[in-house]
Amino acid sequence: MSRIKLTEYRAKKLLLGETYHGISIRQGEPVKLPKSVCFVIKVDQGVKKRMKKGLVLLDQSPAGISRAVSKWRKKGFSRFLAEPLLGHKEGDEQYVSFERVREGIRFMHAKAGGIEIESRPEAVKTFVLRNDFDMKTAAQKTKLPESFLKHALEVFENNFFAFLEINPLVVANGKTHILDAAVLVDSAGTFFVKNSWTEDDIIEKTGNARAEKNIADLAKTSPASFKLTVLNPNGSLFFLLSGGGGSIVVADEAELRGVGKEIGNYGEYSGGPTREETYLYAKEIIGLLIKSKAKRKALVLAGGVANFTDVKQTFMGIIDALSESAISLRKSGVKVFVRRGGPNEHEGLELMKIFLKKEKILGSVYGSETVITKAVDDAINFIKR
Amino acid sequence: MNPIEAARKGKIKILALGGHPAIVQSILDFDFLSGKYSPSVVGLVTSNRKAEKYFFGHGEVLIPCYSSINVIPLEIKKQVSWMLNLQSGRRAFESTVVFFEAFPKALGGHIFAENVPEKHSTELIRILGSKYLITGPSGVGLLVPGSLKLGAIGGVDLRQISASKLPTPGSIAVVSTSGGMTNELIRAVADAGKRISFAAAIGGDRFPVTSLTEMLRLAESDPNTKALVYFGELGGMDEYEIVDMLKSKRFTKPVVAYIAGVIDEAFDEHVQFGHAKALVARKDESARAKRDALRSAGAVAGNTFPEFLKELAKLPEKDFSDKNMDMDKFMKREKSILSTREIIDFENVPVFVKGKKLLAKGDSVFVKTILEALLGKPVKSKITAAFAESVFTLLIDHGGHVSGAVNTMITARAGKDLVSSLASGLLTIGPRFGGAVNAAAEVWLEGVSGKKKPAEMVESKTKVGELVPGIGHLKYRVGLPDPRVEALSGFAALLKKHPYYDFAREVEKVTTGKNGKLILNIDGVIAALFLDILNECEGFSKNELREFIDAELFNAFFVIPRSVGFISHFIEQKKNDEGLFRLPDELLFVRKKKVK
Repeated sequence: MSRIKLTEYRAKKLLLGETYHGISIRQGEPVKLPKSVCFVIKVDQGVKKRMKKGLVLLDQSPAGISRAVSKWRKKGFSRFLAEPLLGHKEGDEQYVSFERVREGIRFMHAKAGGIEIESRPEAVKTFVLRNDFDMKTAAQKTKLPESFLKHALEVFENNFFAFLEINPLVVANGKTHILDAAVLVDSAGTFFVKNSWTEDDIIEKTGNARAEKNIADLAKTSPASFKLTVLNPNGSLFFLLSGGGGSIVVADEAELRGVGKEIGNYGEYSGGPTREETYLYAKEIIGLLIKSKAKRKALVLAGGVANFTDVKQTFMGIIDALSESAISLRKSGVKVFVRRGGPNEHEGLELMKIFLKKEKILGSVYGSETVITKAVDDAINFIKR
Repeated sequence: MNPIEAARKGKIKILALGGHPAIVQSILDFDFLSGKYSPSVVGLVTSNRKAEKYFFGHGEVLIPCYSSINVIPLEIKKQVSWMLNLQSGRRAFESTVVFFEAFPKALGGHIFAENVPEKHSTELIRILGSKYLITGPSGVGLLVPGSLKLGAIGGVDLRQISASKLPTPGSIAVVSTSGGMTNELIRAVADAGKRISFAAAIGGDRFPVTSLTEMLRLAESDPNTKALVYFGELGGMDEYEIVDMLKSKRFTKPVVAYIAGVIDEAFDEHVQFGHAKALVARKDESARAKRDALRSAGAVAGNTFPEFLKELAKLPEKDFSDKNMDMDKFMKREKSILSTREIIDFENVPVFVKGKKLLAKGDSVFVKTILEALLGKPVKSKITAAFAESVFTLLIDHGGHVSGAVNTMITARAGKDLVSSLASGLLTIGPRFGGAVNAAAEVWLEGVSGKKKPAEMVESKTKVGELVPGIGHLKYRVGLPDPRVEALSGFAALLKKHPYYDFAREVEKVTTGKNGKLILNIDGVIAALFLDILNECEGFSKNELREFIDAELFNAFFVIPRSVGFISHFIEQKKNDEGLFRLPDELLFVRKKKVK
């Protein structure tokens, strides 16, 4: 479904196997570190430009590690990685990345790697690897050990990687050392990977709102699709949208009419959810709307003409959620604006209209004969009034 | 040939892998509304049953199910031209590969599943991408109006198919990454008074098997397509393929596009939107950048969705006429609860006797042997054998509605064997169902021997609230005779005397005088004529006939042929294999329990 970040610890463990000596430090897990060794300690949560942000410390004793970890924890980080320090010359640092593309694996290489690589795009050579021959050619041209490329590609394929970046890669005396590795895995591979990564190795976005987490959990346990991103917790426009494409069209309209900053959330449900699943989804969004401190608030319940998602069933789920908070919605003057089409459209819209009218929270209700952006337009006029 | 052209010209035969009843039904509805004579879905590969029931128009059809592609019979296999893969992301790759190995000459397919790993998609592209038109993974499929509906595209609701005018071919190609927006655009085209040449949802996944470029190539080479309407989103570089094709004149038809996703600008960080691909990783993947690039190449790209719709409305369209459809009639159609075939053709009851001439052969050794066994001696007359033969022929079945057949079928669907199912049907035979032949024979015998006038006999029965056996029918009436009774009555003309038959007809005169429905029925006429034939042609005395009645012989003339009918219904159920029967809730009236 989408590409998701793997921890550096798991990425390296998969690439290096038994020879990897990094230690993953998590919340509440005591770790014993050998006192004699010097370590690198870093935050392992997929943060970009860690070095510049001070989230990597070199040459640390176990005591230094404890101090760094407790300091970073206070900043809200929870996953850390300690590795034995590997001395190397800066001139030995190279850059490699692999990405799955339509034609095969796109392999990129730069003789001089390091954290400044992005400022020197001209130094990067690109290859597309479709087969063994391509791989051998790339090894020759980059002078990287063939065994290294072969192994990296094997790990890439077997573990459903979508993207792998090793920077820096230290090559000295024909040996390769992976100092840093960033991996995006294909979430659809979860079912297929064995003795590999699991859900536990996935980095969740930091600072997730509780509602976002609840929706992510809902999505995990349903064949239907649910997405939620909180934008402005005190916004006045809240979106209960359906369909991957239609939801963006509706959200676009708000941005285009200059109220982008008023949008409380983006999200969508699709793929034929049941009444109960839609209820759970709607509940979270209504919760966000109620919490918002904005003075005038509107709920936009919009989407395209569904192919197979049943409008009546999903709307009944939304009505279930709305009825729980109807009093509070009415008291704070919230209005609900609807545009939707699809199977059982007429019945669904009729139910919704009667319900909204009864609860005195009716903004407007439109069906597939009206343009998809009409409900959000009405809602924008309402909050601007 | 362009597979879209091929779809318009050739016969469309779809094999569905996995089940999604609403989608399959929508394809059949589309077929019917497009004027096809048979469903385009020829089989379903699911492991559950042998057949699934769907509407085709107002009637119903059974679509055969197969446990795997290997077991599909050759005559079905030869027809298959498209794959509809409805399996989950876990199985989609493997089953797609198996399908195209089995059907190398197929034109293409659709993979419905979301969550197909990228690795599988790129592998499908490598082995199948250049040979077949395959929409997905993910999305809603491919539509060629009037010809092919491969997936949920255009909706699964009858009213949607009708409102979007899917049966009518036109000139506008609709291509979209988003399944929902494909449908939105299809409707928008119809609302703008135009019609679709073809529509394809490429799918929101990163690696669709048939790429946007290839889809544009199809639109370019399709003679019916005069313009392209495109919906795209932020993320990915696909739209630059359109830009390249427009600039290099590889695509020369007008393009009206909307690229959604300016909302991304309202976020501090780039957001992963609904579709896997909908994430901006580079600057040029933003909605705004892609829109501007399209414009620079000559495409019309609306700033807002309403603006885009206005541009769409300006596109050219040739003349077309929509088929008239009586949608109300469709909406009222109701699902049957049992399916079976017609075993006997009741429209064409054979003529056994014409005037005084016997047309029925009466030379069946089997029938003669049965009669000899039942009567205890060989039959003398050809009339007797011919009459028994005719009765057996007519009584084999009287449709799946009758209670004995229903019991047989329900027992069969409960997974029981032949003998149990047959027994269940036979045990239903009694005074209200099929067991009236013997009772009627008793009444006719009594009437004739007791010299009771028909009117008196009727009177004496009705006085005590009894019905006259062998009289009355639910459907047939005076002026609308039962063709089976007509056909058998001919035998009377072959006899010198027929007192029992005459008596029965006299009784009928009395009863129809009260109610037109109270005609001599099939049980009554069989009983009367058998009595006359056994008496005149075989020389049985009244006392012997009485003995036969006491032994219920006359019901045997129902039980024997109807056993064949029950067995036929049993075999049919085993073939259909629709699973355990359950009465739909709305057909069951449940009285509330009394609250104390």
